[in-house]
Amino acid sequence: MIWVWIALAPILGGLAYGGERVLRARMQRRQGPPILQPFYDMFKLLDKRTLIVHAPHALLALAHFFVLWFSIAAIFLGWNLLYIIFLHLFAQILLILAGYSVRSVYSHLGSNRELLMVVAYEPILILVAVGLYLVSGSFEIAEILTRDHYLLQLPLLFIALVMIVPIKVKKSPFDVGEAHQEIVGGVEIEYSGVFYEFLYMSRFLEYIFIYSFVYLFGGESHWIGAVLVAGVFLLVNLVDNATARVRASHMVKIIYSVAMSLAVLNLLGILL
Amino acid sequence: MNMVLALVLLPIIAAFLVLLVPFGRAQYAVSGAVLALLSGVAFALYNSFGIFTFQLSPIMNIMIVAADVVLLLFFLYQGKVFNHPKVMALAAVQLVLYGYIESIVPAAGTAEIVVDELSKFMFLIINGVGGIIVLYSVKYMEDEPTSPLKKRLFIGALLVFLSVMNLIVVANSILLFFFLFEMTTLASYLLIAFRDDEVSRANALKALWMNQIGGVVILVGALIAIIGFKTVMFDTLLQSSGGMVLFSIALLSMAALVKGASIPFEGWLLGAMVAPTPVSAMLHSATMVKIAPYLILKLSPALAVSMVGGMISIIGALVFVAASYLALSRSVLKEILGYSTVALLGLMMALAAIGSEESINLAMALMLFHALSKALLFLSAGVLERVHHAKNIEEMKGMVSRSPKTVGFILFGFVSLTLPPFGLFMGKLFAISSVASLLKEHPSNLIILLALIVGSALMVLLYFKVASALLSAPCDVEVSPAIVIPNGFNVPLVLLSVFIVIGALGYIMMQHNIFVVMLALPMVFVFALPAIVRRMDRYDRSQPYHCGEKEPFDAALVYYAPSEKIEKIVYWGFGFLFVAVAIIGAVS
Repeated sequence: MIWVWIALAPILGGLAYGGERVLRARMQRRQGPPILQPFYDMFKLLDKRTLIVHAPHALLALAHFFVLWFSIAAIFLGWNLLYIIFLHLFAQILLILAGYSVRSVYSHLGSNRELLMVVAYEPILILVAVGLYLVSGSFEIAEILTRDHYLLQLPLLFIALVMIVPIKVKKSPFDVGEAHQEIVGGVEIEYSGVFYEFLYMSRFLEYIFIYSFVYLFGGESHWIGAVLVAGVFLLVNLVDNATARVRASHMVKIIYSVAMSLAVLNLLGILL
Repeated sequence: MNMVLALVLLPIIAAFLVLLVPFGRAQYAVSGAVLALLSGVAFALYNSFGIFTFQLSPIMNIMIVAADVVLLLFFLYQGKVFNHPKVMALAAVQLVLYGYIESIVPAAGTAEIVVDELSKFMFLIINGVGGIIVLYSVKYMEDEPTSPLKKRLFIGALLVFLSVMNLIVVANSILLFFFLFEMTTLASYLLIAFRDDEVSRANALKALWMNQIGGVVILVGALIAIIGFKTVMFDTLLQSSGGMVLFSIALLSMAALVKGASIPFEGWLLGAMVAPTPVSAMLHSATMVKIAPYLILKLSPALAVSMVGGMISIIGALVFVAASYLALSRSVLKEILGYSTVALLGLMMALAAIGSEESINLAMALMLFHALSKALLFLSAGVLERVHHAKNIEEMKGMVSRSPKTVGFILFGFVSLTLPPFGLFMGKLFAISSVASLLKEHPSNLIILLALIVGSALMVLLYFKVASALLSAPCDVEVSPAIVIPNGFNVPLVLLSVFIVIGALGYIMMQHNIFVVMLALPMVFVFALPAIVRRMDRYDRSQPYHCGEKEPFDAALVYYAPSEKIEKIVYWGFGFLFVAVAIIGAVS
């Protein structure tokens, strides 16, 4: 059964992405696209003529997608959180190298920013893992989901996690990575056709990745987990509609000063 | 015991051979044979059991004392010749202290030489990695614009240095350790000054005076050990308790901080980058600076539960973050590598000073994998310098089109330092869970955990920033035919890469954890991908999009430099912490 869910992960993420576009449209009093739009996009992209810059660049997008999928599978199988975080880091590095491997200003700028994003959220993700470990006594997701009351003990850490969600799903105020008006999509710019489709699907997987961390705070109760995910989903889109993009360097500063302090305060609270 | 003797004597014999045989094939043969023999012996020793001890005869002891006095007099003389008051003062202080200690040194004690598990592990690093660097230096020296005799002396010096290193990791007497410690200082001094220009001389003198601070604290530590416990042996000292034992241990660990070039002493290691590349690789990243974590590991039984140990691990952890951050402002490749060495040495010392069984094993694993990866990176940097005359990462833009192979080695080095399933990454990963498991008993470990997490993130930024320079090519560069890398360089680099892969495989298998094995799958997949997806030529090629601009593009690199004020605070802060180690040792 679990393998079916793993196989369906990109489709689940696609639905989340489609749903989000509908939600945002409604927030702006627009009609918006149908919820299945990401899949219509897929058929369109597969139909297009594929142009590539060079083979390694195109292959790195494939590698990025599959490694990301692997880390999602690890989440569904209930592995060690730290392993999952670093598998995800690996996927990210592949994308960054892809961006650097072509002679395009926008691609390079995009990669620079992706790198800064990694530097910003990585420590918080690990601190979240450590926080969950301190409460539950294990890094294994399977084990973490058998305990309860994470939110009561780790409220500040949860806020820190919510702060980095927009970075991962590329929403304002932290959507520096793609920033269509400035760097024309960043790393994505040199991809087309089937290879772009893989990058597009990676984005769906990112949704599953980061919202799984939110879900973990529900512990053994699926209901709390689901409510948390829905709440954060709404909040992130609300903030996205209401704020402007900050500079990449400010993003790092904000995360390091505010989110990091919250996380550390919370950990100190548990320990002392 | 014979094998240990072989490790000490073989390099010296080889050094004489190097002085005699002509350059070319014969030199390669000698250094290749040395590499094979030394690493073979080291590997055999590593797999053998038991602890060997060896007592030095009185005559040998007298010879060591004489050599030590000559060495210190040489330092004094160098201070006078180059008019460097700090060098002179420190050498004079050491002479006086050493003379006094020798006059009151207790006659009897345990054996001066003890070969334990830690020493055997160190042999593996010293001879394996060191041997490869010697092999590389043959080709490197061939192209050095200097007299043939000096070239031979250089390779000979590297070999003698291997023998010194093999001896230092078995020294049980603090005084013998001091002598060898000073020998490594001498090696640094002579090899940094090798090119004999103004900058080299200044940096060599800097290395000399800073490292002599280490010598002074070792002597004071030995003095306290003699007065308090009537011993100059590490093992007896570590078994003693009460009194001033922690003060003595604290002073000895301060020597480790100096040798490990922790901030504020990182200046000597960065200055060492003016020397020929094999020096940087051998002394300042792969082997010699490993004395620092080695010494802390040796002292860890006493450090484990004490305030001094806590202090050392906090300093190490903070150095890890601070040095990674400072590296972001640098643009010379070797300096960047130097800073990251300082940072990782800090991490190793932090883990060693925690002193739990798990963290000690991790510190050792980090030492081995760091030595392999850093040697690979330094030697590749040397290739870029020699073959392509590029030192600064700004000059290396687009290097991938000119030297794809070298860039491949460098990228592999970076990946092996940061990503699963390679050893150094695994070490960091296990370190996070190990430190996290200690949090509940010792909340102060939160500082180490935070430093570990943030420092690792900064290192990712650092390495892949350099990667961006290597990969980005300005449009107007004509595609020049790739320059062939000579085999004298190629073979050592390939050997190191193979060792990194084998090391990673071995380390994964040692964990007996199926999930850790699974962690390696994505890397295997990525390397296999070009074989899986073969027909890439069915897709049409296109030019990158430039928004209609025709201007050649030049991707800028990111630098982060702290303001002068912050830098000052950092240096004073670390200076204060360094002194605090001694103070805490004295009061506890």
